[in-house]
This record gives sequence, structure tokens and C-alpha cells, in this order.
Amino acid sequence: MDDSRHTRAPYSPPWADVCIIGIAGSSGSGKSTLSQAIVSKLNLPWVVILSMDSFYKTLDEEGSRKAFSNEYDFDSPDAVDFDVLVERLRDLKAGKRAEIPIYSFAKHARQKETTSIYSPHVLILEGIFALYDQRVLRLLDMKIFCEADADTCLSRRILRDVSERGRDIEGCIKQWFAFVKPNFERFVEPQRKVADVIVPRGVENRVAIIMVIQYIERKLVEKSKDHRAALKKLGQSSEDDPLSNKVVLLEQTPQIRGMNTIIQDIDTSSEDFIFYFDRLATLLVEHAMNNVYFKEKTVETPQGRKYRGLVSIGETSAVVILRGGSAFETGLKRVLPDCQTGRLLIQSNIRTGEPELHYLKLPANIQTHDGVLLLDPQMSSGGAALMAVQVLVDHGVPQEKIVFVTYFAGRIGLNRLTKVFPGVKVVLSTIVADFEERWIEKRYFRC
Amino acid sequence: MASTTKEPSSRVGPDYRPEKQKPTATVSTEVPFDNVHTLPQTPQLIALLTMIRDKNTERADFIFYSNRIIRLLVEEGLNHLPVVEHTITTPVGRDYAGVMFQGKICGVSIMRAGEAMEQGLRDCCRSVRIGKILIQRDEETCLPKLFYDKLPEDIADRWVLLLDPMFATGGSAIMAVDVLKSRGVPENRILFLNLIASPQGIENFAKKFPKSRVVTAFVDQGLDEKNYIVPGLGDFGDRFYTI
Repeated sequence: MDDSRHTRAPYSPPWADVCIIGIAGSSGSGKSTLSQAIVSKLNLPWVVILSMDSFYKTLDEEGSRKAFSNEYDFDSPDAVDFDVLVERLRDLKAGKRAEIPIYSFAKHARQKETTSIYSPHVLILEGIFALYDQRVLRLLDMKIFCEADADTCLSRRILRDVSERGRDIEGCIKQWFAFVKPNFERFVEPQRKVADVIVPRGVENRVAIIMVIQYIERKLVEKSKDHRAALKKLGQSSEDDPLSNKVVLLEQTPQIRGMNTIIQDIDTSSEDFIFYFDRLATLLVEHAMNNVYFKEKTVETPQGRKYRGLVSIGETSAVVILRGGSAFETGLKRVLPDCQTGRLLIQSNIRTGEPELHYLKLPANIQTHDGVLLLDPQMSSGGAALMAVQVLVDHGVPQEKIVFVTYFAGRIGLNRLTKVFPGVKVVLSTIVADFEERWIEKRYFRC
Repeated sequence: MASTTKEPSSRVGPDYRPEKQKPTATVSTEVPFDNVHTLPQTPQLIALLTMIRDKNTERADFIFYSNRIIRLLVEEGLNHLPVVEHTITTPVGRDYAGVMFQGKICGVSIMRAGEAMEQGLRDCCRSVRIGKILIQRDEETCLPKLFYDKLPEDIADRWVLLLDPMFATGGSAIMAVDVLKSRGVPENRILFLNLIASPQGIENFAKKFPKSRVVTAFVDQGLDEKNYIVPGLGDFGDRFYTI
């Protein structure tokens, strides 16, 4: 494991170095509405709004009593746990998964559960003190300050607190004059000075929104270009290199070749294609299972004799790269009928060819499993495979535990994957020319 | 009568893993016959065998794990059938120089345990014809006796996959091959698939039918005084069907 680290080629997924936009402003100045407007205008699956409300400190008994009688100062920077916020932002910036606390306004405490944020390309941090902490400022790509008339702010705040946070009008007004207004002058307003853009009139300000959107879009194009260029660079060094010994090719027996012939023949009927693909998939999964970890186990047979055999050390789960990977599921279930199965959807962008992560659902505790089979019937450039392995690694699965199972792959893709992740094993039935168009899933699902 | 060979043990695991990281297990005994093919002793195969040998394994698990081994046996058995070169065009327009299967096949199971292998055969070969042979030990003579057979009419034109999971003395298998030969099946077109074999059974069979082939998952140490394979897995038919 250690010596392989030296030869590791660098790969950075598109969600590393996430673009973080900070939006600050007085309570009721339209920060959330502006954030939502930006999200809906961008219309991309990887834009996430992170509200600083999630980072309120859990209150002690005294604070809790005050909070319930509307005497606690939620509008002071002291109420916010900046340490945790900075830590989570740094994780996201590094491309890792971050657990975001859920704050209950009904109990004034953090709930046991968290929500996780993973792989956004754009993160909008929204809160009255989004531009307050120096450490946060250093992580921001764009700093926005929302401005609105004080009367507008107050009326919006009353409406929201009564309908969404279960407060009464009297309490809201008490809070406004005791805390919100003085704090605005002391802490919130000075953030104007560090802002890149000051947006008056919130969502009505279409010019400002368009400007922000254009800035983000330009950033995303740059990132996509960098990602594709990095993928291409990984390929240049790997074209002629010999394959890693962790690439396990099925022995090319007459049956394997015969099945391959039927599967690849354009004139094969759909019934035959599915039957033979399932049969080969079963064999591939059986072979993949040789790459998990076993320990010795002696059993007694009904004859009363001992047999010194083996047993797998822990649980093996699978992760299907959609849509193609689900063609492997029949084969998977023949070998591991109750296998926990995660799913992720990676699609290549039609225009740029860049692989993009659209959906992700993994078994809980996947990091504790002894083996994780990653299933995708076809690998050409290796972009989707790299991304999928990166997702597993980001979720705490050691690369040594990952077995990538594919029907066929090209040498460039194989070399890219095993150079970036030298611990990953690959099991496949055929090596084909590089950059073959994806067609297995079209045949298997007949559309 | 009881005789056993020394049990061979070996470190098992993928080639890329250092020796010291591979666990040690008892592996199949080597036998000196060219027409006997043992499945590669992979850690997964050993783990599957460990599961079905364990007397504490319940029937549902026994059925599932033995089916997985049977499927691997069938896949290996099919490799011994003839193929011819055949080039095709793929959906993306590339040519693939492949092979095409030649000849017709059928299965013949030796009742009752051999019938347990039929599902595995069907998993690999849809709508395959399957004949049956019932051979029982004669109570008086202690020799195997043919009680019943029902075989495909054109069996003489087919390759035959003979199915019986436990290959102990080889008495039943030898009788079954004699039956097949009497129906006109050439010896070299008979493949005998079994899960666990004894060295004695293999020797008897391989010497008598040098042109037939045996495909087995594991050659065990030997036979006990009751002619059961040891360490074995008990009575396969009982564990699969009734216990």
C-alpha cells in the first residue's frame, strides 16, 4: 500500500475546489430568496444552499430558557459556531463529504441527525454573518451583501418567524428592537466593506442576479475544462504502459470467447443477448469475489472429519454505476442474493464528454465493508470509473477494498484507473480498443 | 479398505497479493491423469466448499452454495466442447474474431443426487435435454445395479454431461458410462461433472475410460471404511433434499 502511493497519479474530481458564494445581509433582506433565485437560474444539479442557521450553537439551560422567552440574542456572532462551519467548508473545498448539523428552532438544540453535503460544484453560504469570520472569507470565491429597507426587513421577519418558526408577533417585535436592530448596526452592516457585490432590492434586482450567474457559469466552464484536461493528461502517460497486476482478465477459454462472440454479435437476438450477458456477468462477479479478503476456518464435516478451509472476513457490498451497471445486477444476485447495493448515476455531458455525477445513494456504513464491488459493464476513457472510485474513497472506503467489475475496457482507461488508484482491483472479460462508444446498456435494456 | 492420502495445503489468493497475506487452506489433491480437470483452487471456491462441508450449514445455504459451485463446474465442463472460428460484427461496427459452439449437448443425471445439479446446468444451457439414470447398490451383492434409465433418443449424436456430485468409488459413474456407451455415445464425448471426488474413484474411472473427461471441484483425501469420501460433506442427496 505504501510503495504504491509514490506512483499515484493525481486526479481531482470536479467537485474538489468547490466554488463558494457567501451571501450576507440583515435578517429579512432577501438572502434566502436571492440564493434560491440563483439556484433556479443556474438550473444545475450540483448547486447547494448552505444556511448558517444550521450552525447555531446548542444552547445550555440558561440560554435555552432565554431563547424560549425571546431574550436570547440569535443575531450576535456569538450564537454561531464558526469553528464547525469553517471545518465543514474546508472539507467541502477539499472535495470531501461533510455532515451538516440540523438545528431545531423548536428545541434550540442540534438534532442527532445530520444531513450530508457531497460533491456540489457551487455552494451558496447564506446567513447574516456569512462574511463575518476571516477564515470563512478566505474560502469564499464571491462575497455578496444583500440590502433592503429596514421596514421591509422587519415585516418579512415577522411573517417568517410566525409561520415557519412557531413564534408569536409580540416576541418577534421584542427581539427586533432588543437584538436585531442593534446587532445589525454593530456586526452586520460592517460586512458591506468586505463584499464584492452589494445587491439592493434582493430578487427584484435582475441585473445583479444575472451578473452573479454569469460569474458562476464562467467559473464552472473553467473547472470543466480543467477536469477534462486533467483526464486527458492522465491518458497521455498511460497509453503504452503495461497493465497493472491488479487488472485481472478472465482466462480466454473457448466458452468465454463463445459467449463474447454471441454478446458482441449485432445479429444476436435480445433474448440471447440478455441470457449470455447474465451468464457472463455471473462469472465476472464470481471472479471478483476472489479479490476480497478471506481468513482460515476449520469446519467439521458430517463424517466427523476436519476440513481446513476459508471464510470471507466481512461483508461484501456492491455499487452500481447507472445506467449500465444495473445490467450486472442479475449476475450479482446469483452470487450474492442479499448483497447491499448502492447506486450512483454518472452521465457524460453530451457537449463536452465530461462525466458528471447526478445521483448518489450508498449503503450506510459502506466504509466498514470488507469488499465493495463497483459495477459498470463498459469502461472506455475511465472518466466515470475514476469518478465513482473517488466517490467511494470520499465516503471512507479504502481503495484496497474496491473491486471494479466490467465487461470490457480499453487499455488507456485501465491504466488511468490503476495509476490514480493503485490499490483498486479490476476484473474484466475482454480488453478492447480505446474509446469505444457505450452500447452494452442499450442492448441490455433495449432502449 | 479405508485409505487416505496426505492432505495438501497451500496459500490461496490472487497473484498480486504477497504470499504472507494469503491464508492457508487444504487444497485439492493432485492426481496424475490428463483427462481429469480440477477447478482452479481460488479462495472463493475454497470458501464455498468450506460452507457446504460444514455439518452446521443448513439446507437452504447448502443448496445455494452448492449451486454456485455446480455452475462453475458446468462452465468449466463446457470449455471441453469443440468450437470453430467465427468472426462477427459488433453493434459499433467493429469486427470480433470469436468462436461458435459446435455440436449438440445433453445432460444425464445419476439419480437422486445428480438431479441436484440440473438447475446449475440449466442456468448455463437453456432448454437443455436431460436424461436420467437410477443406479442403486444391490443389497445382496453390494454392487451397483441399474434400475431405470430414460435418455434422449438421439443421445448417440450428442455430447453428454454426466452429473453426480459425489465421486466416491466410482462404481455408479462407471456403470453409467457403460450404459451411455451401450446407447452409442462415444467415450470421448462423455464429460463427468462432480463436486468432490476421491483419488480411488478417479483412478478407477480414468483408467477404465481414458478418453472420457472428469471435471471436479476438489479431489479429497480418500474414503472411509463405509466408502464415504473424507473429509467429504456427508450424503449430498440427503443434505440437498431432505435434512
